[in-house]
Amino acid sequence: MDDWKPSSLIKPFGARKKRSWYLTWKYKLTNQRALRRFCQTGAVLFLLVTVIVNIKLILDTRRAISEANGDAEPEQDYDEALGRLEPSRRRGSGPRRVLDVEVYSSRSKVYVAVDGTTVLEDEAREQGRGIHVIVLNQATGHVMAKRVFDTYSPHEDEAMVLFLNMVAPGRVLICTVKDEGSFHLKDTAKALLRSLGSQAGPALGWRDTWAFVGRKGGPVLGEKHSKSPALSSWGDPVLLKTDVPLSSAEEAECHWADTELNRRRRRFCSKVEGYGSVCSCKDPTPIEFSPDPLPDNKVLNVPVAVIAGNRPNYLYRMLRSLLSAQGVSPQMITVFIDGYYEEPMDVVALFGLRGIQHTPISIKNARVSQHYKASLTATFNLFPEAKFAVVLEEDLDIAVDFFSFLSQSIHLLEEDDSLYCISAWNDQGYEHTAEDPALLYRVETMPGLGWVLRKSLYKEELEPKWPTPEKLWDWDMWMRMPEQRRGRECIIPDVSRSYHFGIVGLNMNGYFHEAYFKKHKFNTVPGVQLRNVDSLKKEAYEVEIHRLLSEAEVLDHSKNPCEDSFLPDTEGHTYVAFIRMEKDDDFTTWTQLAKCLHIWDLDVRGNHRGLWRLFRKKNHFLVVGVPASPYSVKKPPSITPIFLEPPPKEEGAPGAAEQT
Amino acid sequence: MSRINKNVILALLTLTSSAFLLFQLYYYKHYLSAKNGAGLSKSKGSRIGFDSTQWRAVKKFIMLTSSQNVPVFLIDPLILELINKDFEQLKNTSLGSTSECKFFCVRRDFTTFALRYHLWKNEEGWFRIAENMGFQCLKIESKDPRLDGIDSLSGTEIPLHYICRLANHAIHLVVFHERSGNYLWHGHLRLKGHMDRKFVPFRKLRFGRYPGAFDRPELQQITVDGLEVFIPKDPVHFLEEIPHSRFIECRYKEARAFFQQYLDDNTVEAMAFRKNAKELLQLAAKTLKKLGVRFWLSSGTCLGWYRQCNIIPYSKDVDLGIFIQDYKSDIISAFQDVGLPLKHKFGKVEDSLELSFQGKDDIKLDIFFFYEETDHMWNGGTQAKTGKKFKYLFPKFTLCWTEFVDMKIHVPCETIEYIEANYGKTWKIPVKTWDWKRSPPNVQPNGIWPISEWDEVIQLY
Repeated sequence: MDDWKPSSLIKPFGARKKRSWYLTWKYKLTNQRALRRFCQTGAVLFLLVTVIVNIKLILDTRRAISEANGDAEPEQDYDEALGRLEPSRRRGSGPRRVLDVEVYSSRSKVYVAVDGTTVLEDEAREQGRGIHVIVLNQATGHVMAKRVFDTYSPHEDEAMVLFLNMVAPGRVLICTVKDEGSFHLKDTAKALLRSLGSQAGPALGWRDTWAFVGRKGGPVLGEKHSKSPALSSWGDPVLLKTDVPLSSAEEAECHWADTELNRRRRRFCSKVEGYGSVCSCKDPTPIEFSPDPLPDNKVLNVPVAVIAGNRPNYLYRMLRSLLSAQGVSPQMITVFIDGYYEEPMDVVALFGLRGIQHTPISIKNARVSQHYKASLTATFNLFPEAKFAVVLEEDLDIAVDFFSFLSQSIHLLEEDDSLYCISAWNDQGYEHTAEDPALLYRVETMPGLGWVLRKSLYKEELEPKWPTPEKLWDWDMWMRMPEQRRGRECIIPDVSRSYHFGIVGLNMNGYFHEAYFKKHKFNTVPGVQLRNVDSLKKEAYEVEIHRLLSEAEVLDHSKNPCEDSFLPDTEGHTYVAFIRMEKDDDFTTWTQLAKCLHIWDLDVRGNHRGLWRLFRKKNHFLVVGVPASPYSVKKPPSITPIFLEPPPKEEGAPGAAEQT
Repeated sequence: MSRINKNVILALLTLTSSAFLLFQLYYYKHYLSAKNGAGLSKSKGSRIGFDSTQWRAVKKFIMLTSSQNVPVFLIDPLILELINKDFEQLKNTSLGSTSECKFFCVRRDFTTFALRYHLWKNEEGWFRIAENMGFQCLKIESKDPRLDGIDSLSGTEIPLHYICRLANHAIHLVVFHERSGNYLWHGHLRLKGHMDRKFVPFRKLRFGRYPGAFDRPELQQITVDGLEVFIPKDPVHFLEEIPHSRFIECRYKEARAFFQQYLDDNTVEAMAFRKNAKELLQLAAKTLKKLGVRFWLSSGTCLGWYRQCNIIPYSKDVDLGIFIQDYKSDIISAFQDVGLPLKHKFGKVEDSLELSFQGKDDIKLDIFFFYEETDHMWNGGTQAKTGKKFKYLFPKFTLCWTEFVDMKIHVPCETIEYIEANYGKTWKIPVKTWDWKRSPPNVQPNGIWPISEWDEVIQLY
């Protein structure tokens, strides 16, 4: 076609024109070779154009499709590996409307299987004694609660009654006994079991085995029982197999108004049980509190990190009190859950808060410590603007004026480099030793239990050298070490703004809690105006202490400091006592004094340069360690400091102190 | 006869072909208009005024956000540009005097707003109200990248984008999250399996193709076309940031794997070095930013970021790269003013320039200047003793933002190519002895400086 030259006459334009050309051509069939070739070329060109348009169309369609596919960049994709696992929930509307439940009770093992899936299995030695209770959702068959009540021990039956009463009517209840469950199963509990329709439950005897499946407020679906033949032996293992008919989802749910809050409530209540009136159909407990805002709130934009484990009922109680505190800003709260536990996450979602789960990487104390580190780092990452963070734990009640307390004192952390933290907890603030909610102290120990951490302290000092997992250290003990604290002090209130209610914890047991935490004073007065906050700064505080010591009346040192009569029956006076303290780390006498005053004596807390401040009988009571304390100069020469000898090795009775 | 037949066949072929072509053209046109949304071709003809669907959608959206206290500001590049052109006039014409809809009525598929997430208090109720107002909304969520750097945390997902459609106009709400390093970050708009791919023409979105990072803008409220909106106080700066806002996350997962294989050095010396190097880097970044000089992490510092998301404790210095066209003569004096004296200067602006500054505690700040050729980039090296020149070749690269030691900072987007050029395929293995003249695979001898020039091109202090 290279040799072809278009004639000036021939200009193909459109189909019509072409058509006329064709006709012309048809009639002039003669030797118009050039013309024929031209037509051929035209046709070929035309075909070519068609092909091009076709290709373009195909390309375009493909591009449109790929664009609709979200045009993911390959190198950006590496973090998407965590595929989105759509929850494959069993639908209640499926064909299977019956659950097949197996319950086993014996001396050393209990298990419960629902549709072949084991939902409870306990064959550990020396553990899990008592009545195991499982609550299933009657529409879905999901496990909503799992508890064990050691009704061999006292008071556990009361807890069981409380729990069973909270369970919504219609739920499926499963009970099974491991080892022994009758010794402290009192009449109230037995009556409740009878009201559930159980025959054997109310008659449960020493070392009997018992398995029960029933609907709350409805029919019993199965029960098996085996009596113990003799005091020294157990009943035969029983295995109960029964079918549980499922009801419809509508039946299982309450008819709350369709609001955002109730949607959260519904989601929560269909998954878990045992949270009391929050799930009751009539008049449920609110889950939004809208406490009064604080005027001039200085901590409105301070993030709050709640450190939690798998104690969802504690977390529930804690978050309720936190969200009821004046000046709280819920969007600043993050709950850090140590482990992939669902129920704490459900509690967090109920209150519409942010929850973050943490994969366990270490054991026991070190695990807690690593959890703290991850939580604190995450808090400052999530709130890069924050200069401080409030650190709370799941087993604390938060005082109504918690944020007001912080708002009034937080500027101290900014202005005074000699401060380590502000804490809401006074280790020595018991019912009988704390009095004045407006009073603040400076102490050399770090109490924790609701405190404020400065970002610069964390980022520059603590985070880089935080104990590694293999160290197995308690984070709080580590923070109290002189290498970390470096002589800095914490601000605490006289009357604590947090209350430690946890009794099941890593370092906790019932006795310990009773002895050291239960009688702690907790402020319930809203809007307390703190007194003289600026006098808590380093220099000003010394002036304040000297003033106090100057006006304090020296107590009669010949009396026994453990006796109530050591302090006169006055009110509003300031008294001082001097105890022996040879060196900065000599706390012999103080520890004995703390013991007999029934305050914290496991280690030294609440001291400031050899001075302790507390209240007794509504009088301010100062204790100065002589001669280690710089305040020893205030001791009148005639006074001999009190010396209390530690008891010999075996535990001496508290108060059995000797006087010099 | 055979010839005629051939011609007839050809003619017939042409006819069918043209018919086919016509059909295709028709189909193609139909397809195009379907893709762009049925309404767009319609609004073409309609009067551009206050009754335009764009304006109405924006108005409704602004009503919604102000009543629900959703902290949004306008970032739509198209409208910001228009506003910027007319900025003085807009400031002068006070409220109410809106004779003509000039900005929000301009034809477009989207109006883009940004949401300042950390100021947002009522996240839950908003969506529902938007839907009640007639918006059809799509929410794109993802995991929080701010938790990526920390071992084993997994949180609730955070919203990254909202796209709300009203009639044939869509509002794209880009969620800006605060990040450490005083900047705002937005995520990648990635559609998940169940989402409607035809919801809006996603391709035309101006944000979300990549994650992005922006300086936190100061805002101002202005009245545009009778609507009160917040816009960045410095729209020019914001507009300039948009094309270069692409952000890449550090590869935390790989970094953790690295530290599992080669334990992290947590000795006192290593921690002290990291702290000092971080401070030096922050100081250098601040100084260069003030001068308006673009720079990026180079050599060992870049490797540290890419491989372990941290400063390599035995690297002894901090390395930065600067394009030679960004060179400013007052760099040296600016560094001196902040307490970083010049340690040596090799080469000259035309060739192989390299500056070294002395930080505290014996840490050096090396700045390499990069020269661009048609198919590669290079920077130079000079051996002080011999006057030998070296050339380090890199494939061409562009700059992306990342976060490093609490800073928003540039790195080459094509990081892996950059690092492999510099350290070879074995960059994953830590090497403590490194000879800058021999070890890099991309080094080339580049002759020798003429002795007459030594005074200029080899300056040691």
